Amino acid sequence: MTCEFSAKPAARRYRRDFAIAMALYVALVIGAALIIRNFEAPQWLRIVLGLLPLAPALMMLRAYLVFLHAMDEFQRRLQTDALLIATGIIVFGTFAYGFLEEWAGLPHVPLIWVFPIFSFAFGVAHTIIRLRYK
Amino acid sequence: MRNRLKVLRAERNWSQADLAERLDVSRQSVNAIETGKYDPSLPLAFKIAAVFGLQIEQIFSADNVAEAAE
Repeated sequence: MTCEFSAKPAARRYRRDFAIAMALYVALVIGAALIIRNFEAPQWLRIVLGLLPLAPALMMLRAYLVFLHAMDEFQRRLQTDALLIATGIIVFGTFAYGFLEEWAGLPHVPLIWVFPIFSFAFGVAHTIIRLRYK
Repeated sequence: MRNRLKVLRAERNWSQADLAERLDVSRQSVNAIETGKYDPSLPLAFKIAAVFGLQIEQIFSADNVAEAAE
């Protein structure tokens, strides 16, 4: 292999760190949900349990930032462009839907959906941006 | 921005992957620069010039340099 770009080990590390964080996330959510459903947990414990999934989410963010900084400038540009588009979609989408909920009686959408929708929008935006540079 | 990367590569018989390895960037990045879809940063432009043993101006030229100088 002639092309051994320095981001390749970084990509491997990212996949590994992301998988670890994801496994921890699944374990924490299942564990916390079991406690909430089966026990009369006091409010403080519910708050602690509710904050637990944030830990692996921040681990994912850290893994992503390490990966981002290992990329070359062009790849980083594609990533930041996609991040900006995803940010725009989530910010203006939630802004508009907030008015629709208040004034047009559209069903309430829980905040938990913001992160997955943002991630999905980022994935779609990145794919489209990459195709433009083909 | 215009550039002579493709010609310079051909003269040396380098593939995009060869040049990418020398610059420590991805092949996609070399392709984007070569096709004029992405303008490299000044540090990367210096690195490209160094790899070919040329001055930046011998590789890259702006379409509107004359206008900018006025």
